[in-house]
Amino acid sequence: MELPDRFYMKAEFIETASGNKVSKKSVLCGSQNIVLNGKSIICNDCIVRGDLANVRIGRYCVIGARSVIRPPFKKFSKGVAFFPLHIGDHVFIDEECIINAAQIGSYVHIGKNCVIGRRCVLKECCAIGDNVYLPPETVVPPFTVITGNPGKPTGELPECTQDLMVDATKGFYQHFLPVQEVK
Amino acid sequence: MPSAEAKLKKNRCANCLDCPSCNHSLTTRATSVALTDAKSPEKKTTKKVYYLACGLCRWTSRDIGLTDKESLVVDGRNMKTTMQKGPKTDEPEVTPVSKIPPSEEVDPLPSKFYTQPLVLEKVTTLAQRLNRPEFASNQVEGLYPRHKHLVIKRSQRCRDCEHNLSKPEYNPSSIKFKIQLVALQHIPDIRIYLVPKLHHERESIVTILLSNPSQEPMEIQLEALNDPPSTGMLIVPSIELALAAKDITAEFDEKVADTSQYQDNPELGNIETIKESYSLTVSLLFALAVLSYGSFTFSFFLEGIPKHGTVHIVETILKLDITANEVYPVRSGHKLGVLFKVTPQTSEADVVVCFKLKHKYHNNSPSLRSPPDEESSPEAIWLEHEVHINLGPTSP
Repeated sequence: MELPDRFYMKAEFIETASGNKVSKKSVLCGSQNIVLNGKSIICNDCIVRGDLANVRIGRYCVIGARSVIRPPFKKFSKGVAFFPLHIGDHVFIDEECIINAAQIGSYVHIGKNCVIGRRCVLKECCAIGDNVYLPPETVVPPFTVITGNPGKPTGELPECTQDLMVDATKGFYQHFLPVQEVK
Repeated sequence: MPSAEAKLKKNRCANCLDCPSCNHSLTTRATSVALTDAKSPEKKTTKKVYYLACGLCRWTSRDIGLTDKESLVVDGRNMKTTMQKGPKTDEPEVTPVSKIPPSEEVDPLPSKFYTQPLVLEKVTTLAQRLNRPEFASNQVEGLYPRHKHLVIKRSQRCRDCEHNLSKPEYNPSSIKFKIQLVALQHIPDIRIYLVPKLHHERESIVTILLSNPSQEPMEIQLEALNDPPSTGMLIVPSIELALAAKDITAEFDEKVADTSQYQDNPELGNIETIKESYSLTVSLLFALAVLSYGSFTFSFFLEGIPKHGTVHIVETILKLDITANEVYPVRSGHKLGVLFKVTPQTSEADVVVCFKLKHKYHNNSPSLRSPPDEESSPEAIWLEHEVHINLGPTSP
């Protein structure tokens, strides 16, 4: 199924020179610590907590509506330290997710309404189903599908996951089109 | 880890441990304990000790009475010896079980089941017991962590010629392949592009997108199946379609590839010019084409298109006689949209249409069987695929 066109009001999004599309209704805290590498889409009502630590998001990423991206913390004997959060290229995060991961590799799909626990490491080419709670400090190996609550590996992804994810995220970006309001 | 080493380690990781209670991986945690010196009781020194803890179910190695260890390495070793106690599982002795005739003489139930209160939190679940079948402890105190099971990477071979189809790289975290031959790179991709509301016994137009993944032009034929198990009547166009080669540099190129060499319907030349002059997306053109088949009014205007522009587009599309028994291919690079006429034959189940896709295939990859000195390009063969497309339910 080819993705249908999704239209957004041009006034509601900011498009940067490198092609990022960021909703004006999203909250980017500490924007000097947030790096979007281009052609990424941040939908409405997202929260990206760049004030806690650096957040780096690769190319062709999609952060769905009402998702929260929050760098993980670790308790030490002398207080709490936050760690930077890296998200690779061609990562699709669906709506209403809470991401506390330390690292998300490239070509990863995260379903709707997921909670990715503190300091999780999602390797490249893995997929998280809908409504998954991933416990803190979980490592998801490549080509695994995680479903359930708590998330457990239940399946495998095909070898061509990389091509499929590139196609899906590029398709999403190409079909994300601006419209002007009818006066 | 090579497979011989993995076998030696019973396919388990030497360092990582799983929680016996919930199977999540355990983490080592550090705490400090105050030690009092035997010589001078006033002087207190703190020492770091480590224990294992589960981040999900809060199980700790203290729960089973293991004392905290002084260093990470010692901790792991000690754990290992503690955990490998009990019957050795290397070479299990198989003793044949003799048949016991049924009898009424059974040992009475131990009195502790009547006298001692049952504490459910202390009893292990079936899943926990089956996790360690050699112990199968029925008390939570008997649950010991287990080394993490290894995950494998595997290569695949063709069933006929035994040629390697996919061979991953050795590095466990790498997603690259030394050899990767997938159908995605050779077989044309078929996608549902646009489905209008389907009604029982009413003809509608469904747009299917065919795209050519290979870097050579491809010829495609569509055929009807003899006895299709479909729930929708599909008029299969019996024409040969040509797909342009995929140009991997096209996305970096501003210029639109010239597709005029393909003799598509002459009226659609108009559409191409409209597309260029108003920089419309192909999908919107399809939307216009399909929606203008029924009655349709515009509720929004695309950015950069003047109002008279949209009217012009609709007029041009309305001039196309879509009702004639033909397909109207609309082309964009290596992709080709084909309009199909579908009449749903059901009002309850999903509408499924079937057809046969034939495409010419040049096998360019070097084969083990063909002699290497053969210089002539391998002969093109027609490959056939039976395609079933579920278009979703009909609307009431």
